[in-house]
Amino acid sequence: MSILRTISSSSEPEPRVSRRTLLKDSAALAMGAAALPLARGAAVEQPVTAASGSLLGKGKVIDCHAHLNHHSRKTWEADDRKLIEAADKLGIDQLCCSTLTPHWPASLDGFRECNKWTAEGMKRFPGRVLGYCYVNPGYGRETLEEIRRYVGDGGFMGIKLYNEYLCTDPVVYPIVELAIELGVPILHHASHSHYFVEDQPRLTDGGHLAELARRYPEAMLICAHISGGGDWEWTIKAARHAPNLMLDTSGSVTDAGTVDMAAAVVGVDRLVFGCDSSMTAGIGKIRGADLAAQDKQKILGGNMMRLLGRRKA
Amino acid sequence: MIVDVNAYLGHFAFRRLRHNTAASLLALMDSKGIDKAVVSSADAITYRNAQAGNEELAEEVRGHSDRLIPYAVVNPFYAGWQDDLKICREEFGMAGLRLYPKWHNYQLSSPCCKELVDAATEQGMVISIPIRVEDNRERSWLLNVPDVPLEEIIEIVKAHPKARFILLNGLGYTGSPLGRKDNGLPANYAIELSRLSAVLANEIGQYIANLGAERLMFGTGMPFNYPDPALVKLEVLDAGEADKEKIRSQNAMGWLRL
Repeated sequence: MSILRTISSSSEPEPRVSRRTLLKDSAALAMGAAALPLARGAAVEQPVTAASGSLLGKGKVIDCHAHLNHHSRKTWEADDRKLIEAADKLGIDQLCCSTLTPHWPASLDGFRECNKWTAEGMKRFPGRVLGYCYVNPGYGRETLEEIRRYVGDGGFMGIKLYNEYLCTDPVVYPIVELAIELGVPILHHASHSHYFVEDQPRLTDGGHLAELARRYPEAMLICAHISGGGDWEWTIKAARHAPNLMLDTSGSVTDAGTVDMAAAVVGVDRLVFGCDSSMTAGIGKIRGADLAAQDKQKILGGNMMRLLGRRKA
Repeated sequence: MIVDVNAYLGHFAFRRLRHNTAASLLALMDSKGIDKAVVSSADAITYRNAQAGNEELAEEVRGHSDRLIPYAVVNPFYAGWQDDLKICREEFGMAGLRLYPKWHNYQLSSPCCKELVDAATEQGMVISIPIRVEDNRERSWLLNVPDVPLEEIIEIVKAHPKARFILLNGLGYTGSPLGRKDNGLPANYAIELSRLSAVLANEIGQYIANLGAERLMFGTGMPFNYPDPALVKLEVLDAGEADKEKIRSQNAMGWLRL
Protein backbone atom coordinates (compact mmCIF):
# COMPACT_ATOMS: atom_id res chain seq x y z
CA MET A 1 0.00 0.00 0.00
CA SER A 2 1.41 3.37 -0.89
CA ILE A 3 1.59 6.17 1.58
CA LEU A 4 -0.55 8.26 -0.75
CA ARG A 5 -3.36 5.79 -0.43
CA THR A 6 -2.80 5.56 3.27
CA ILE A 7 -3.12 9.28 3.74
CA SER A 8 -6.38 9.48 1.81
CA SER A 9 -9.01 9.49 4.50
CA SER A 10 -12.06 7.42 3.69
CA SER A 11 -14.02 7.82 6.88
CA GLU A 12 -15.02 11.23 8.14
CA PRO A 13 -16.27 11.01 11.72
CA GLU A 14 -18.14 13.82 13.38
CA PRO A 15 -15.70 15.54 15.71
CA ARG A 16 -16.90 16.71 19.10
CA VAL A 17 -14.38 19.52 18.90
CA SER A 18 -14.36 21.04 15.46
CA ARG A 19 -11.26 22.62 14.06
CA ARG A 20 -12.77 26.04 14.30
CA THR A 21 -13.46 25.43 17.95
CA LEU A 22 -10.07 23.87 18.37
CA LEU A 23 -8.23 26.85 17.07
CA LYS A 24 -10.01 29.58 18.89
CA ASP A 25 -10.19 30.39 22.53
CA SER A 26 -12.96 28.61 24.33
CA ALA A 27 -15.01 31.52 25.55
CA ALA A 28 -18.02 29.73 24.13
CA LEU A 29 -17.70 27.23 26.92
CA ALA A 30 -18.82 29.88 29.34
CA MET A 31 -22.21 29.65 27.72
CA GLY A 32 -22.33 25.92 28.21
CA ALA A 33 -21.77 22.98 25.94
CA ALA A 34 -24.85 23.80 23.92
CA ALA A 35 -22.99 26.74 22.45
CA LEU A 36 -20.33 24.56 20.90
CA PRO A 37 -20.48 23.88 17.20
CA LEU A 38 -20.82 20.18 16.64
CA ALA A 39 -21.30 19.80 12.94
CA ARG A 40 -18.20 19.16 10.94
CA GLY A 41 -19.58 20.30 7.64
CA ALA A 42 -20.26 23.85 8.67
CA ALA A 43 -17.14 24.46 10.67
CA VAL A 44 -14.39 22.41 9.13
CA GLU A 45 -12.53 22.67 5.93
CA GLN A 46 -12.50 19.32 4.25
CA PRO A 47 -9.12 17.63 4.44
CA VAL A 48 -7.19 17.74 1.20
CA THR A 49 -6.11 14.19 0.61
CA ALA A 50 -2.85 13.12 -0.87
CA ALA A 51 -4.72 11.59 -3.79
CA SER A 52 -6.07 15.00 -4.74
CA GLY A 53 -2.58 16.21 -5.39
CA SER A 54 -1.76 18.35 -2.38
CA LEU A 55 -0.04 17.04 0.69
CA LEU A 56 -0.41 20.32 2.52
CA GLY A 57 -4.03 19.75 3.37
CA LYS A 58 -5.44 22.72 5.19
CA GLY A 59 -7.39 21.67 8.19
CA LYS A 60 -6.09 18.15 8.56
CA VAL A 61 -5.16 17.19 12.11
CA ILE A 62 -2.54 14.46 12.48
CA ASP A 63 -1.40 13.03 15.79
CA CYS A 64 2.28 12.33 15.13
CA HIS A 65 2.70 10.17 18.23
CA ALA A 66 0.12 7.51 19.04
CA HIS A 67 0.14 3.86 20.01
CA LEU A 68 -1.99 0.84 19.34
CA ASN A 69 -2.23 -1.60 22.20
CA HIS A 70 -0.06 -4.67 22.57
CA HIS A 71 -2.14 -7.79 22.17
CA SER A 72 -1.07 -9.20 25.49
CA ARG A 73 -3.45 -6.65 26.94
CA LYS A 74 -6.83 -8.36 27.29
CA THR A 75 -8.75 -5.29 26.25
CA TRP A 76 -6.49 -4.35 23.34
CA GLU A 77 -9.17 -4.42 20.70
CA ALA A 78 -11.65 -2.30 22.68
CA ASP A 79 -8.86 0.04 23.72
CA ASP A 80 -7.80 0.53 20.12
CA ARG A 81 -11.39 1.42 19.28
CA LYS A 82 -11.42 3.88 22.18
CA LEU A 83 -8.39 5.58 20.69
CA ILE A 84 -10.25 6.13 17.43
CA GLU A 85 -13.36 7.26 19.29
CA ALA A 86 -11.29 9.76 21.25
CA ALA A 87 -9.77 11.01 18.01
CA ASP A 88 -13.29 11.39 16.61
CA LYS A 89 -14.38 13.46 19.59
CA LEU A 90 -11.34 15.69 19.37
CA GLY A 91 -11.33 16.17 15.61
CA ILE A 92 -8.11 14.27 14.98
CA ASP A 93 -8.13 12.88 11.46
CA GLN A 94 -5.17 10.56 11.54
CA LEU A 95 -2.95 8.95 14.13
CA CYS A 96 0.62 7.89 13.45
CA CYS A 97 0.81 4.73 15.52
CA SER A 98 3.37 2.26 16.65
CA THR A 99 2.83 -0.78 18.78
CA LEU A 100 5.47 -1.19 21.45
CA THR A 101 6.59 -4.28 23.30
CA PRO A 102 5.65 -4.30 26.99
CA HIS A 103 9.27 -4.85 28.02
CA TRP A 104 12.56 -3.43 26.81
CA PRO A 105 14.87 -4.04 25.12
CA ALA A 106 12.53 -5.35 22.46
CA SER A 107 13.42 -8.76 21.07
CA LEU A 108 13.44 -9.46 17.34
CA ASP A 109 10.29 -11.55 17.60
CA GLY A 110 8.80 -8.94 19.90
CA PHE A 111 9.04 -6.01 17.51
CA ARG A 112 8.15 -8.14 14.48
CA GLU A 113 4.93 -9.12 16.22
CA CYS A 114 4.22 -5.48 17.07
CA ASN A 115 4.68 -4.35 13.47
CA LYS A 116 2.37 -7.10 12.25
CA TRP A 117 -0.28 -5.83 14.65
CA THR A 118 0.27 -2.23 13.54
CA ALA A 119 -0.27 -3.35 9.93
CA GLU A 120 -3.49 -5.06 10.99
CA GLY A 121 -4.53 -1.90 12.81
CA MET A 122 -4.07 0.10 9.62
CA LYS A 123 -6.48 -2.28 7.93
CA ARG A 124 -9.00 -2.15 10.78
CA PHE A 125 -8.99 1.66 10.72
CA PRO A 126 -8.24 2.53 7.12
CA GLY A 127 -7.21 6.11 6.59
CA ARG A 128 -7.18 6.79 10.32
CA VAL A 129 -4.16 4.82 11.49
CA LEU A 130 -0.78 5.39 9.86
CA GLY A 131 2.03 3.07 10.88
CA TYR A 132 5.45 3.55 12.39
CA CYS A 133 7.74 0.56 12.11
CA TYR A 134 9.14 -0.04 15.59
CA VAL A 135 12.56 -1.67 15.74
CA ASN A 136 15.42 -2.35 18.10
CA PRO A 137 18.56 -1.13 16.25
CA GLY A 138 20.63 -3.89 17.85
CA TYR A 139 19.47 -6.55 15.40
CA GLY A 140 21.42 -5.11 12.48
CA ARG A 141 20.49 -6.75 9.19
CA GLU A 142 17.15 -8.06 10.52
CA THR A 143 16.25 -4.59 11.71
CA LEU A 144 16.85 -3.09 8.29
CA GLU A 145 14.90 -5.91 6.64
CA GLU A 146 11.99 -5.22 8.95
CA ILE A 147 12.00 -1.54 7.97
CA ARG A 148 12.15 -2.38 4.26
CA ARG A 149 9.28 -4.86 4.68
CA TYR A 150 6.93 -2.46 6.47
CA VAL A 151 8.04 0.99 5.37
CA GLY A 152 9.42 0.18 1.96
CA ASP A 153 6.70 -2.26 0.91
CA GLY A 154 4.02 -2.15 3.58
CA GLY A 155 2.96 1.48 3.47
CA PHE A 156 4.15 2.46 6.95
CA MET A 157 4.88 6.17 7.20
CA GLY A 158 7.94 6.17 9.42
CA ILE A 159 10.22 4.52 11.94
CA LYS A 160 9.84 4.50 15.71
CA LEU A 161 12.87 4.13 17.94
CA TYR A 162 12.66 3.76 21.70
CA ASN A 163 15.34 3.53 24.38
CA GLU A 164 17.31 0.46 23.40
CA TYR A 165 20.22 2.63 22.24
CA LEU A 166 21.24 6.24 22.43
CA CYS A 167 20.41 7.75 19.07
CA THR A 168 24.07 8.75 18.66
CA ASP A 169 25.24 5.14 18.92
CA PRO A 170 26.72 4.05 15.55
CA VAL A 171 24.36 1.06 15.57
CA VAL A 172 21.58 3.55 14.81
CA TYR A 173 23.29 5.10 11.77
CA PRO A 174 22.20 2.49 9.20
CA ILE A 175 18.60 3.04 10.25
CA VAL A 176 18.93 6.79 9.74
CA GLU A 177 20.53 6.19 6.35
CA LEU A 178 17.69 3.87 5.35
CA ALA A 179 15.12 6.43 6.54
CA ILE A 180 16.83 9.01 4.31
CA GLU A 181 16.77 6.58 1.40
CA LEU A 182 13.04 5.95 1.90
CA GLY A 183 12.27 9.59 2.69
CA VAL A 184 10.46 8.90 5.98
CA PRO A 185 10.71 10.42 9.46
CA ILE A 186 12.06 8.79 12.60
CA LEU A 187 10.15 9.42 15.81
CA HIS A 188 12.61 8.93 18.66
CA HIS A 189 11.64 8.52 22.31
CA ALA A 190 13.40 11.25 24.27
CA SER A 191 13.57 12.83 27.69
CA HIS A 192 15.91 15.06 29.62
CA SER A 193 15.77 15.01 33.40
CA HIS A 194 18.36 16.45 35.78
CA TYR A 195 18.92 13.05 37.34
CA PHE A 196 19.88 9.64 36.06
CA VAL A 197 16.83 7.70 34.91
CA GLU A 198 17.76 4.28 36.22
CA ASP A 199 15.25 2.24 34.28
CA GLN A 200 16.29 3.87 30.98
CA PRO A 201 20.09 3.91 30.97
CA ARG A 202 20.24 4.61 27.23
CA LEU A 203 17.71 7.39 27.25
CA THR A 204 18.13 9.78 24.34
CA ASP A 205 17.52 13.49 24.87
CA GLY A 206 17.05 16.48 22.62
CA GLY A 207 20.77 17.19 22.67
CA HIS A 208 21.59 13.73 21.36
CA LEU A 209 18.98 14.11 18.64
CA ALA A 210 20.36 17.52 17.65
CA GLU A 211 23.79 15.88 17.33
CA LEU A 212 22.35 13.13 15.13
CA ALA A 213 20.45 15.70 13.07
CA ARG A 214 23.67 17.61 12.40
CA ARG A 215 25.39 14.39 11.35
CA TYR A 216 22.56 13.62 8.94
CA PRO A 217 21.11 16.93 7.73
CA GLU A 218 18.89 15.12 5.18
CA ALA A 219 17.20 13.05 7.89
CA MET A 220 13.78 13.95 9.25
CA LEU A 221 14.01 13.41 13.00
CA ILE A 222 11.23 13.94 15.53
CA CYS A 223 12.08 14.42 19.19
CA ALA A 224 9.22 12.75 21.05
CA HIS A 225 6.94 14.28 23.66
CA ILE A 226 8.49 17.53 24.82
CA SER A 227 5.59 17.65 27.30
CA GLY A 228 6.39 14.34 28.90
CA GLY A 229 10.12 14.30 28.55
CA GLY A 230 11.41 16.06 31.61
CA ASP A 231 12.74 19.63 31.42
CA TRP A 232 11.09 20.89 28.23
CA GLU A 233 12.88 24.23 28.36
CA TRP A 234 16.20 22.36 28.17
CA THR A 235 14.97 20.21 25.31
CA ILE A 236 13.71 23.15 23.26
CA LYS A 237 16.99 25.02 23.70
CA ALA A 238 19.02 21.92 22.85
CA ALA A 239 17.10 21.51 19.59
CA ARG A 240 17.50 25.10 18.44
CA HIS A 241 20.41 24.72 16.02
CA ALA A 242 19.33 21.48 14.36
CA PRO A 243 16.93 22.55 11.61
CA ASN A 244 16.01 19.02 10.59
CA LEU A 245 14.94 18.08 14.11
CA MET A 246 11.22 18.45 14.75
CA LEU A 247 9.69 18.64 18.21
CA ASP A 248 6.60 16.59 19.03
CA THR A 249 4.28 18.46 21.42
CA SER A 250 2.80 15.32 22.98
CA GLY A 251 2.83 14.19 26.60
CA SER A 252 0.71 14.47 29.70
CA VAL A 253 2.32 17.66 31.00
CA THR A 254 0.27 20.79 30.27
CA ASP A 255 2.73 23.44 31.46
CA ALA A 256 1.69 26.80 30.10
CA GLY A 257 4.21 28.28 27.72
CA THR A 258 5.60 25.03 26.35
CA VAL A 259 4.27 25.35 22.82
CA ASP A 260 4.82 29.11 22.84
CA MET A 261 8.47 28.77 23.79
CA ALA A 262 9.02 25.99 21.28
CA ALA A 263 7.50 28.15 18.55
CA ALA A 264 9.65 31.11 19.55
CA VAL A 265 12.91 29.18 19.75
CA VAL A 266 12.77 26.62 16.92
CA GLY A 267 9.88 28.09 14.88
CA VAL A 268 6.40 26.78 14.18
CA ASP A 269 7.58 24.94 11.09
CA ARG A 270 9.47 22.52 13.32
CA LEU A 271 6.62 21.60 15.64
CA VAL A 272 4.33 18.63 15.14
CA PHE A 273 1.20 17.97 17.14
CA GLY A 274 0.99 14.78 19.13
CA CYS A 275 -0.82 13.25 22.08
CA ASP A 276 0.98 10.04 23.05
CA SER A 277 -2.34 8.93 24.56
CA SER A 278 -2.80 12.19 26.53
CA MET A 279 -5.53 13.29 24.18
CA THR A 280 -7.15 16.31 25.80
CA ALA A 281 -3.77 17.54 26.99
CA GLY A 282 -2.46 17.30 23.44
CA ILE A 283 -5.31 19.28 21.91
CA GLY A 284 -5.58 21.71 24.80
CA LYS A 285 -1.94 22.77 24.64
CA ILE A 286 -2.22 23.76 21.02
CA ARG A 287 -5.46 25.57 21.62
CA GLY A 288 -3.96 27.39 24.58
CA ALA A 289 -0.81 28.54 22.83
CA ASP A 290 -0.67 32.21 21.96
CA LEU A 291 -0.10 31.63 18.25
CA ALA A 292 -1.86 32.66 15.06
CA ALA A 293 -4.45 30.23 13.70
CA GLN A 294 -2.38 29.48 10.62
CA ASP A 295 0.60 28.62 12.80
CA LYS A 296 -1.52 26.28 14.88
CA GLN A 297 -2.71 24.65 11.69
CA LYS A 298 0.87 23.99 10.68
CA ILE A 299 1.52 22.33 14.01
CA LEU A 300 -1.70 20.34 13.98
CA GLY A 301 -1.17 18.80 10.60
CA GLY A 302 0.53 20.92 7.98
CA ASN A 303 4.05 20.20 9.13
CA MET A 304 3.43 16.47 9.39
CA MET A 305 1.90 16.48 5.92
CA ARG A 306 5.07 18.14 4.69
CA LEU A 307 7.18 15.36 6.20
CA LEU A 308 4.93 12.64 4.79
CA GLY A 309 5.13 14.28 1.39
CA ARG A 310 8.87 13.75 1.24
CA ARG A 311 8.51 10.01 1.00
CA LYS A 312 10.35 8.65 -1.99
CA ALA A 313 8.59 6.34 -4.39
CA MET B 1 -20.57 30.19 34.73
CA ILE B 2 -17.20 28.53 35.23
CA VAL B 3 -15.41 28.46 38.57
CA ASP B 4 -11.79 27.34 38.64
CA VAL B 5 -10.80 25.93 42.05
CA ASN B 6 -7.15 25.52 41.09
CA ALA B 7 -5.37 28.77 40.17
CA TYR B 8 -2.35 30.72 41.41
CA LEU B 9 -0.71 34.13 41.41
CA GLY B 10 2.93 35.07 41.82
CA HIS B 11 6.19 33.41 40.89
CA PHE B 12 7.37 29.84 41.06
CA ALA B 13 11.00 29.32 41.98
CA PHE B 14 11.86 26.94 39.16
CA ARG B 15 10.03 28.19 36.10
CA ARG B 16 8.77 31.49 34.74
CA LEU B 17 5.02 31.81 34.84
CA ARG B 18 2.97 34.04 32.57
CA HIS B 19 -0.45 35.44 33.46
CA ASN B 20 0.61 35.46 37.10
CA THR B 21 -0.62 38.89 38.19
CA ALA B 22 -4.23 39.60 39.04
CA ALA B 23 -4.68 41.73 35.93
CA SER B 24 -3.10 39.25 33.55
CA LEU B 25 -4.84 36.24 35.08
CA LEU B 26 -8.18 38.01 34.80
CA ALA B 27 -7.44 38.77 31.16
CA LEU B 28 -6.66 35.10 30.57
CA MET B 29 -9.84 34.09 32.39
CA ASP B 30 -11.84 36.49 30.22
CA SER B 31 -10.38 34.99 27.07
CA LYS B 32 -11.33 31.50 28.21
CA GLY B 33 -14.74 32.26 29.67
CA ILE B 34 -13.73 31.50 33.25
CA ASP B 35 -15.68 33.65 35.68
CA LYS B 36 -14.07 33.06 39.05
CA ALA B 37 -10.91 31.44 40.32
CA VAL B 38 -9.59 30.32 43.67
CA VAL B 39 -6.02 31.61 43.85
CA SER B 40 -3.13 31.10 46.23
CA SER B 41 0.45 32.31 46.25
CA ALA B 42 2.82 30.35 44.03
CA ASP B 43 5.74 31.99 45.86
CA ALA B 44 4.51 30.56 49.17
CA ILE B 45 5.28 27.06 47.91
CA THR B 46 9.02 27.73 48.26
CA TYR B 47 9.17 30.66 50.66
CA ARG B 48 10.32 29.47 54.07
CA ASN B 49 7.86 31.92 55.62
CA ALA B 50 4.74 31.19 53.59
CA GLN B 51 2.90 34.10 55.21
CA ALA B 52 4.94 36.53 53.11
CA GLY B 53 3.33 34.94 50.05
CA ASN B 54 -0.12 35.31 51.60
CA GLU B 55 0.56 39.00 52.21
CA GLU B 56 1.60 39.49 48.59
CA LEU B 57 -1.49 37.64 47.43
CA ALA B 58 -3.80 39.75 49.60
CA GLU B 59 -2.32 42.88 48.08
CA GLU B 60 -2.57 41.54 44.54
CA VAL B 61 -6.23 40.49 44.67
CA ARG B 62 -7.40 43.71 46.34
CA GLY B 63 -10.27 45.12 44.30
CA HIS B 64 -10.92 41.83 42.51
CA SER B 65 -12.78 39.94 45.21
CA ASP B 66 -15.73 39.43 42.88
CA ARG B 67 -13.65 37.10 40.73
CA LEU B 68 -10.45 36.10 42.54
CA ILE B 69 -10.98 34.12 45.74
CA PRO B 70 -7.76 34.07 47.78
CA TYR B 71 -6.68 30.98 49.72
CA ALA B 72 -3.88 30.95 52.29
CA VAL B 73 -0.83 28.72 52.20
CA VAL B 74 -0.04 27.74 55.78
CA ASN B 75 2.79 25.55 57.04
CA PRO B 76 1.79 24.11 60.42
CA PHE B 77 5.42 23.46 61.33
CA TYR B 78 6.45 27.11 60.95
CA ALA B 79 6.53 29.47 63.91
CA GLY B 80 3.48 31.64 64.28
CA TRP B 81 1.19 29.72 61.95
CA GLN B 82 -1.76 30.30 64.32
CA ASP B 83 -1.25 34.05 64.00
CA ASP B 84 -0.89 33.72 60.24
CA LEU B 85 -4.13 31.74 59.98
CA LYS B 86 -6.00 34.35 62.00
CA ILE B 87 -4.65 37.21 59.87
CA CYS B 88 -5.43 35.37 56.63
CA ARG B 89 -8.97 34.60 57.72
CA GLU B 90 -9.90 37.79 59.49
CA GLU B 91 -7.86 40.51 57.79
CA PHE B 92 -7.33 39.09 54.31
CA GLY B 93 -10.72 37.37 54.04
CA MET B 94 -9.18 34.12 52.87
CA ALA B 95 -11.84 31.45 53.00
CA GLY B 96 -9.64 28.44 52.50
CA LEU B 97 -6.20 26.88 52.73
CA ARG B 98 -3.76 25.17 50.46
CA LEU B 99 -1.45 22.64 52.11
CA TYR B 100 1.92 21.51 50.71
CA PRO B 101 3.02 18.71 53.04
CA LYS B 102 5.80 17.44 50.78
CA TRP B 103 7.16 20.86 49.81
CA HIS B 104 7.01 22.06 53.42
CA ASN B 105 8.28 18.75 54.78
CA TYR B 106 5.62 17.60 57.21
CA GLN B 107 3.15 14.74 57.52
CA LEU B 108 -0.56 15.27 57.01
CA SER B 109 -1.04 12.92 59.94
CA SER B 110 1.15 14.95 62.32
CA PRO B 111 -0.40 16.58 65.39
CA CYS B 112 0.51 20.06 64.13
CA CYS B 113 -1.31 19.47 60.87
CA LYS B 114 -4.28 18.06 62.76
CA GLU B 115 -4.39 21.22 64.82
CA LEU B 116 -4.32 23.37 61.68
CA VAL B 117 -7.07 21.38 59.95
CA ASP B 118 -9.23 21.55 63.06
CA ALA B 119 -8.67 25.29 63.44
CA ALA B 120 -9.47 25.95 59.78
CA THR B 121 -12.55 23.74 59.91
CA GLU B 122 -13.74 25.54 63.01
CA GLN B 123 -13.71 28.72 60.94
CA GLY B 124 -15.51 27.13 58.02
CA MET B 125 -12.45 27.17 55.76
CA VAL B 126 -12.06 24.75 52.85
CA ILE B 127 -8.75 22.88 52.76
CA SER B 128 -7.29 22.14 49.36
CA ILE B 129 -4.32 19.85 48.89
CA PRO B 130 -2.36 19.88 45.62
CA ILE B 131 -1.16 16.32 45.06
CA ARG B 132 1.72 17.78 43.05
CA VAL B 133 3.00 21.14 41.85
CA GLU B 134 4.78 19.98 38.72
CA ASP B 135 5.68 16.76 36.96
CA ASN B 136 8.50 15.17 38.90
CA ARG B 137 10.49 14.34 35.75
CA GLU B 138 11.12 18.03 35.08
CA ARG B 139 12.28 18.81 38.61
CA SER B 140 15.28 20.99 39.35
CA TRP B 141 18.58 19.41 40.30
CA LEU B 142 18.12 21.06 43.70
CA LEU B 143 15.26 18.98 44.98
CA ASN B 144 13.07 15.93 44.65
CA VAL B 145 9.60 16.51 46.03
CA PRO B 146 7.31 13.49 45.71
CA ASP B 147 3.59 13.62 45.02
CA VAL B 148 1.34 13.32 48.06
CA PRO B 149 0.39 9.62 48.21
CA LEU B 150 -3.36 9.02 48.02
CA GLU B 151 -3.04 6.77 51.08
CA GLU B 152 -2.12 9.86 53.11
CA ILE B 153 -5.14 11.67 51.71
CA ILE B 154 -7.38 8.82 52.77
CA GLU B 155 -6.05 9.04 56.31
CA ILE B 156 -6.64 12.77 56.62
CA VAL B 157 -10.20 12.67 55.22
CA LYS B 158 -10.99 9.86 57.66
CA ALA B 159 -9.42 11.72 60.58
CA HIS B 160 -11.38 14.93 59.92
CA PRO B 161 -14.94 14.03 58.89
CA LYS B 162 -16.18 17.58 59.52
CA ALA B 163 -13.48 19.19 57.39
CA ARG B 164 -13.97 19.84 53.66
CA PHE B 165 -11.12 18.93 51.34
CA ILE B 166 -10.57 19.68 47.65
CA LEU B 167 -7.90 17.52 46.06
CA LEU B 168 -5.99 19.28 43.28
CA ASN B 169 -3.63 18.12 40.52
CA GLY B 170 -4.17 14.43 41.20
CA LEU B 171 -5.14 11.35 39.25
CA GLY B 172 -5.57 7.64 39.80
CA TYR B 173 -8.40 8.10 42.29
CA THR B 174 -10.48 5.33 40.77
CA GLY B 175 -7.64 2.95 41.55
CA SER B 176 -7.85 3.91 45.21
CA PRO B 177 -10.72 3.88 47.73
CA LEU B 178 -11.06 7.65 47.17
CA GLY B 179 -12.71 7.04 43.82
CA ARG B 180 -14.67 3.88 44.58
CA LYS B 181 -18.34 3.51 45.37
CA ASP B 182 -19.27 2.63 48.95
CA ASN B 183 -15.73 3.29 50.10
CA GLY B 184 -16.65 3.90 53.73
CA LEU B 185 -15.02 7.32 53.64
CA PRO B 186 -16.80 10.49 54.69
CA ALA B 187 -18.18 12.50 51.79
CA ASN B 188 -16.00 15.42 52.85
CA TYR B 189 -13.77 15.64 49.81
CA ALA B 190 -14.12 16.71 46.22
CA ILE B 191 -11.76 16.10 43.33
CA GLU B 192 -10.58 18.66 40.82
CA LEU B 193 -10.29 17.41 37.26
CA SER B 194 -7.25 19.04 35.65
CA ARG B 195 -5.25 15.79 35.46
CA LEU B 196 -8.13 13.34 35.07
CA SER B 197 -8.86 11.76 31.72
CA ALA B 198 -12.12 12.44 29.88
CA VAL B 199 -11.48 9.96 27.06
CA LEU B 200 -9.74 6.56 26.79
CA ALA B 201 -9.68 5.43 30.48
CA ASN B 202 -12.18 8.26 31.18
CA GLU B 203 -11.47 8.59 34.88
CA ILE B 204 -13.91 11.49 35.13
CA GLY B 205 -16.73 9.31 33.84
CA GLN B 206 -15.80 6.52 36.22
CA TYR B 207 -15.68 8.94 39.10
CA ILE B 208 -19.13 10.34 38.26
CA ALA B 209 -20.51 6.79 38.08
CA ASN B 210 -18.96 5.83 41.41
CA LEU B 211 -19.39 8.91 43.58
CA GLY B 212 -21.56 11.29 41.59
CA ALA B 213 -20.89 14.53 39.77
CA GLU B 214 -21.41 16.38 43.05
CA ARG B 215 -17.90 15.39 44.08
CA LEU B 216 -16.08 16.79 41.06
CA MET B 217 -14.93 20.35 40.47
CA PHE B 218 -13.48 22.19 37.53
CA GLY B 219 -9.89 23.38 37.81
CA THR B 220 -7.08 24.27 35.47
CA GLY B 221 -3.90 24.81 37.44
CA MET B 222 -3.35 28.10 35.64
CA PRO B 223 -0.99 29.83 35.26
CA PHE B 224 1.21 26.76 35.81
CA ASN B 225 -0.90 25.01 33.19
CA TYR B 226 -2.65 26.04 30.04
CA PRO B 227 -6.32 26.29 31.04
CA ASP B 228 -7.46 24.79 27.75
CA PRO B 229 -6.84 21.09 28.43
CA ALA B 230 -9.26 21.21 31.36
CA LEU B 231 -11.79 23.09 29.25
CA VAL B 232 -11.47 20.50 26.49
CA LYS B 233 -12.18 17.75 29.03
CA LEU B 234 -15.50 19.37 29.85
CA GLU B 235 -16.33 19.71 26.18
CA VAL B 236 -15.76 16.06 25.30
CA LEU B 237 -16.96 14.51 28.55
CA ASP B 238 -19.83 12.07 28.05
CA ALA B 239 -22.10 13.45 30.75
CA GLY B 240 -25.44 15.18 30.90
CA GLU B 241 -25.63 18.93 30.93
CA ALA B 242 -26.88 18.91 34.52
CA ASP B 243 -23.79 17.00 35.66
CA LYS B 244 -21.51 19.24 33.62
CA GLU B 245 -23.04 22.30 35.22
CA LYS B 246 -22.35 20.87 38.66
CA ILE B 247 -18.73 20.32 37.72
CA ARG B 248 -18.38 23.62 35.89
CA SER B 249 -19.57 25.79 38.78
CA GLN B 250 -22.38 24.60 41.02
CA ASN B 251 -20.35 22.34 43.27
CA ALA B 252 -17.67 24.95 43.81
CA MET B 253 -20.24 27.68 44.40
CA GLY B 254 -21.81 25.57 47.12
CA TRP B 255 -18.58 24.58 48.79
CA LEU B 256 -17.08 28.06 48.60
CA ARG B 257 -20.37 29.70 49.59
CA LEU B 258 -20.23 32.08 46.67
